[in-house]
Amino acid sequence: MSDQLSTDPTKPAQRMRAGSMTIPLMPWVLGAALLAVLPFIFTANSAITIMNQMAITIIFALAYNMLLGQGGMLSFGHAVYAGVGGFACVHIMNMDDFFAAIPLPVLPIFGGLMGMGLATIVGSFSTRKAGTVFAMISLGVGELIAACSVIIVAFFGGEEGVSGDRTYGLPFFGVEFLQQIDVYYLIAVWLMISAALMYLYSRTPLGRMANAVRDNPERAEFLGYSARWVRFYSFVASGFFAGIAGALFAINYEILTEENLNTTQSGIILLVTFLGGVGFFFGPILGAIVFTLVQTVLSLQTELWGFYLGIIFVLTVMFFPGGLAGLIMMHVPAMRLGKLGRLGVPYVKTLGAGLIGCLGAAALIEMTFHVRHASTGDHEMTVYWTTFDSHTVLPWVLAIGATLVGFGIARKTAPALAEAWNDANTPDGTAQ
Amino acid sequence: MNPALELDNLTKSFGKTEIIRGVDLSIGKGERHAIIGPNGAGKSTLFNLITGRFPQTGGSIRLHGADLAGKAPFEINRMGLSRSFQITNIFPKMTVFENVRCSLLWSMGYRYNFWSMVGRSRALTDSADEILDQINLTARRDLPAGVLSYAEQRALEIGITIAGGADVIMLDEPTAGMSHSETDYIVDLIRVVTEGKTLVMVEHDMGVVFGLADQISVLVYGEIIATGTPEAVRANPKVQEAYLGEALEAH
Repeated sequence: MSDQLSTDPTKPAQRMRAGSMTIPLMPWVLGAALLAVLPFIFTANSAITIMNQMAITIIFALAYNMLLGQGGMLSFGHAVYAGVGGFACVHIMNMDDFFAAIPLPVLPIFGGLMGMGLATIVGSFSTRKAGTVFAMISLGVGELIAACSVIIVAFFGGEEGVSGDRTYGLPFFGVEFLQQIDVYYLIAVWLMISAALMYLYSRTPLGRMANAVRDNPERAEFLGYSARWVRFYSFVASGFFAGIAGALFAINYEILTEENLNTTQSGIILLVTFLGGVGFFFGPILGAIVFTLVQTVLSLQTELWGFYLGIIFVLTVMFFPGGLAGLIMMHVPAMRLGKLGRLGVPYVKTLGAGLIGCLGAAALIEMTFHVRHASTGDHEMTVYWTTFDSHTVLPWVLAIGATLVGFGIARKTAPALAEAWNDANTPDGTAQ
Repeated sequence: MNPALELDNLTKSFGKTEIIRGVDLSIGKGERHAIIGPNGAGKSTLFNLITGRFPQTGGSIRLHGADLAGKAPFEINRMGLSRSFQITNIFPKMTVFENVRCSLLWSMGYRYNFWSMVGRSRALTDSADEILDQINLTARRDLPAGVLSYAEQRALEIGITIAGGADVIMLDEPTAGMSHSETDYIVDLIRVVTEGKTLVMVEHDMGVVFGLADQISVLVYGEIIATGTPEAVRANPKVQEAYLGEALEAH
C-alpha cells in the first residue's frame, strides 16, 4: 500500500506537463480554416443552407452542454432561450430606425442578452436544485413560454410567427447580407467566437466549479461555494449563447415561429447534444453536424428519417452513453499504444457486415411502409437509387437475405473483434 | 480570547427523537480534540450540526465567537471551518489535481470568477501541487480521483479539507475501514497537515485517538459525559463504565 502512495521522484516532467498552462490552439486554427474554405468546396446554395443550419445547431448544442455536460443540469426546455433571443432579433429587424443604425453582425449580441435576461429570471428559481426538480421546472417553463406564443401575439406573432428583413441593417463594410454566402461567414465568425468563449469559460474558476458541483454538489458547498449560485451562473451563461444561436437563426431564416421554442425543439437539442457526447467539449459539435446531415440529407431520401434517428438515439443511450465523442475517445488508449491498426480488419469485417444488415433492415422497413401507405395501384418504389415493384418477391428476398446474412456475419465475427479490442488495449509484454 | 469552537446547550431532534441532548463544549485554538463514543451516540450528527449540514434545534454554535445559527455550509466554510466526511466525498470524475485546485479556489479569492483562466495562475497551480506533495499523491496527479485506492481517496479527502486554509479542521472518522499500515500512514499525515490548526475529529480507533488528541470528549446518548486529557478520560470511572472499558483493555 505505502509504496503506491509514495511520490514518484523520477517524473519531474509530470508537474510541468499537467500544469496545462497553454490552451491547445491547433484544433481552433484548423476549425477556422475549415469554416473559411468549406463554401469553396460545397458551392451549391443548398449546401450553404445546410452549413448555416449546422453552425447554428453547433452553437446551440454547445450552449446546451454547458448545462448538461458541464453543469449536470438536464433541461427539457432550453429552446426557449434560443427562441426568445431569435424573436427579439426579428423585432429589432422590424424597428426601422434602430436597425438601420446597427450593422447586422452586431445583432446576435442583442439575441444573446435577451436569452441571458430570460435565463436570469428563470434561473433565479430553477437552479436551486439540480436533478429532477431542475428538469421538471425547465419542462414547465418551456411549456409555459411555448403556450405564451399564442397568447402574447404582439411578441410571438401567433401561429404565423414574426418575420423580418435582415438587409435593412446598416451595411457592414459595404456588405448588405443579400447573399447566403455573406450570411454564412457571419454565422461562421459567430460560431468561432461563441465556441471559443464557451471553451474558455470551462477553464475559468467558475467553469471548473460547475464540474465540481455536477460531480458532488455537497462537497462543493463545504469548499466555500454555493452549489446553487454556481448552477445559476452556468445557466445564465448558457442562456446567453443559446440566445446567440437564436439570433443567428433569425438572421438566416428571417422568420421565427412557435416551433423555434416549443418542447419539440428542446427535445431535439437534448438529442443532438447527447448523440454527440456530453463528456467532451467537442461532443456537441459532432452531434450537431451528424444530426443536421441526417435531418437535411436523409429527410430528402425517406419520410421515415425521424424513425431511424430515434433508433440511433436509443442505441446511443443504451450502448454508448459517451456519444460519438466517447466512441472516438475510446480509441485513444489503443492509439497511445500504437496498436490502433490492429483493429482495422476486425472492424471492417464486423461493422461492414453490420452495415449491410442495417441497410437490409432499412430496406425492409421502407418496403413495408410503401406497401402499407402508398396509394392503391402505386407499386413502384425506389430504395438505394434502384426502382422496383414492391409487390414482387425478389426485392423482399434480397432485403431479408441482406439483413440475415449481414447481422449473422456481424454476430459471428463479434468475438474476434472483442479479442482484437482487448489486444489493442493491452500493452505488449503484459501477461493475460 | 475566544475559543475556536464553542457549543452551548446544543440540541437536535429528529421528530420526537432527541439525538443531541444539550451539548456544552469549548475547544481552544490549536487544540487537537477527539470526540469518541459508542455507535449511535450522535457523533456524526454533532459534526453535521457544527458544519451547517443540519439546522440545530436549540442552543448555539460559535466559531471564533461568531454565531453559526442558520448559516449554510458554504458560509461556514468561508468563516474558516472545513470538514471531511465519513464516507469518502470527493469529485470522482475530476483529476486528483483538479480536486485539490477546486478546493483552493474560494480561499484564493477567485470566487465566482469567469474572466481568468485557472491554468494560467502559477500561484494556484503551485499551491495545489504543494498540497498534493503533502498528501503524497503527486504521482497520481492526473488520474481521475474515482480510480484511486481507498486509502488514497481518504488522503485526497484530507487534502481537499485542508486546502482552503481553514483554521478549524473537522475530520469524521478519517481512518474508518483502513488496515493497520494505512491507519498509521493517515495518522502521520493528519499530524503534519493540521500543524498549528485546531483539529476536531470523530474516531473509533482508540490507537488513533490516544495518538493524536490532546483533549478527548466522550459522547454518550447525545450528551457529553466527560471531557479532558487522554489520561483523565482514561481514568474516569463514568467513561469506563459507559464505553471505554473493553476498548481500553485492548490497548
